Amino acid sequence: MAVNKKPVKKIEKVAEPVVLGERSYKFDIVRKSKWGVIVSLTFIAVGLVMFLIRGFNFGIDFLGGNLMEVKFTKSVSITELRSVMGGAGYGSAILQNTEENQYIIRTVPLTDAQKETILDTLDSKIGIERPLVQDRNVAPGFSQTIIRNTLIAVAISIAGILIYVWIRFAVRFALIAILELIHDLLIILSFYAITFREFNTTTIAVILTILGYSLSDAIVVFDRIREEIRVNKRDRFIDISNYSVNKTLVRTIGTTVTTLFPIIILLIIGNETLKDFAFGLFIGIISGSFSSVFIGPQILVAWNNRFPKYKK
Amino acid sequence: MRSKVGNIVVIALFIVILGVCFYYIFIDGIQNSIKLGLDLRGGTQIILKPVETGTEEVTDEAIDKAQLIILNRIDKLGISEPLVTRDFNRNIIVQLPGVDDPERAIDIIGKTAQLEFRIVESVDDSGNPVLGPTLMTGDKLSKAQAGYSSNGQIIVSMIFTEEGSRQFEKVTSENVGKQLAIVLDGEVRSAPRIKQAISGDAVIEGIETLEEAKDIALVLQTGALPVNLEIQESQTIGPTLGQDSLRQSMLAGIIGFALVAIFMVAMYRGLGLISIIGLICYVTIFWGILAGLKTPVTLPGIAGVVLTIGIAVDANILIYSRIKEEVLKGKSKYAAFNEGFRNALKAIIDSNITTLITAAALYRFGTGPIRGFAVTLAIGVVISMFTAIILVRAILFLVVNSRAITPGFIGVKLPKINQETKAVKEK
Repeated sequence: MAVNKKPVKKIEKVAEPVVLGERSYKFDIVRKSKWGVIVSLTFIAVGLVMFLIRGFNFGIDFLGGNLMEVKFTKSVSITELRSVMGGAGYGSAILQNTEENQYIIRTVPLTDAQKETILDTLDSKIGIERPLVQDRNVAPGFSQTIIRNTLIAVAISIAGILIYVWIRFAVRFALIAILELIHDLLIILSFYAITFREFNTTTIAVILTILGYSLSDAIVVFDRIREEIRVNKRDRFIDISNYSVNKTLVRTIGTTVTTLFPIIILLIIGNETLKDFAFGLFIGIISGSFSSVFIGPQILVAWNNRFPKYKK
Repeated sequence: MRSKVGNIVVIALFIVILGVCFYYIFIDGIQNSIKLGLDLRGGTQIILKPVETGTEEVTDEAIDKAQLIILNRIDKLGISEPLVTRDFNRNIIVQLPGVDDPERAIDIIGKTAQLEFRIVESVDDSGNPVLGPTLMTGDKLSKAQAGYSSNGQIIVSMIFTEEGSRQFEKVTSENVGKQLAIVLDGEVRSAPRIKQAISGDAVIEGIETLEEAKDIALVLQTGALPVNLEIQESQTIGPTLGQDSLRQSMLAGIIGFALVAIFMVAMYRGLGLISIIGLICYVTIFWGILAGLKTPVTLPGIAGVVLTIGIAVDANILIYSRIKEEVLKGKSKYAAFNEGFRNALKAIIDSNITTLITAAALYRFGTGPIRGFAVTLAIGVVISMFTAIILVRAILFLVVNSRAITPGFIGVKLPKINQETKAVKEK
């Protein structure tokens, strides 16, 4: 018993265990989680400010333009490359070193002739390898299609999830689930605004993925609350929620960790495209777990207090 | 609940399914088992948007026809395994694996190839011809060929169909002495003076290279596109970038899998081992389905696979943590397993269905690689439910009564005894 006491004491500093007989729980998460909401809101606010100041770092998917990834036959520094590009009349090109002797060159949209001029110049001054590593040309204005499609996909997903959770749970669960979703999306967007990471179609794919995935944590917590309401007629709703969050905590952490394993590896060893993917998923998954533990249950409890007719 | 025989049948069924999957994985050699998308194997993707000309609406039939014509042109270019599809916004998406000269392909595919014969009415002040109405179009050609004229010029010679021949004869006979402009996509290519009525053929002059003449002949032969197409996006991925991505994702998948396995065994001991069997089956079935369906796997698709490993483990974690809980409550092994499964089932189904809803929306409204992602996500979610709920359950219930299944096997340590004594005291 003495061995057991020590960790309990440590926990007391963070949160006092609530003793309710068989349904006691260790972490009083719901009562303390106004901090969760504050952290999230601060984050979103900072993201919003950054967004208003300098917007997103849109890629060519959104702005239109030309992107070539070129492998050079010999070593070349970014300054040398910049001066060669300047000589060809494209001094404003965005250059990015990806691998040894390999650069991404981003310019305005190019015609075939213009592209050939650039490549010929690069070939004669430095020497390039053909075929190119990649070559993309996006017409300006194409993003309108992407944005419209994304908004439709988001709207349909949200509507579908809303209806499903409504049927399986209750309207308050459904609305809070959607709120958590929107929270997760805002967190991802804030991250992109704050870190100024390139915002491209991959980002859109990530956002849509998180839309589908991040809710599973919330559903698991809600499922437990739904179950507990049915069997526990004694305790208050806040304790039922707290107990449920505590009971699902190990699972939430476990799943988050295992899902993050491959994503972290991708973040370490992956190339630019893969890193883009991994970065967004990483943020989204953590945000999804965070909101399901620290935000959803608290709002659910607040809702129950505000509209007592839902109180069982 | 279920009988021992039932569980053995389920496991046998899975072994059969795995066998089928192995068949598909190995039938064409393990290297070629999965069809890779353009972004992984290298290739060119072009997105073409139909443009409304004037007040005319672009009809679905026109786009269908355009797709067919594009496919024809690609065929004539000798590119194998092209894919010409249409997305939700009626954009035409052309995918060409491993093309040597993407610029040329892009050029040819997007060309409207509207051939018109018009009379030069007069010449304006700056010397440009003023053209009369279109008298004839290129749809009545039977053949177009690149070559040299007798004076060594590069030309495209066109032979009309029977009907076209008659029409051309009529046009030329009515306009003897005038200049006949041959207009390709709005550009006057040549304007020879009509000396006499001509019936059989016509030539296009003023072409710089034989290559260009060949391209013009090709697009004329496949016919004009019924709509103007604007290139929205063209993307060419070299073979090395795709290989890199593939290698890195595979490595991340393998290392991730190993870490997940270690985590599961550390957390759930013997149960963790069973979940690893489930996971291996999951990966095999996933692989088999991708190989069998020949669905092209894109880079986002691979990311989807990596993500679904997490989803697949989730179902196991949900079940095991419930089992642990029930064991801690002091229930018997069998009751704990049973309750654990029953309690976890709803959460598994509900959370997976919300993921499926999004995958469906993604598939419907996404383009290209995002669609590939939606497909792998959906397949992954369904297989993971299938393996966790049916296979892992069958294995667990088959072994539940064996003496090897101790609290230690489940990953529950001494507290179990404490709980039990507590429970007794409470009573």
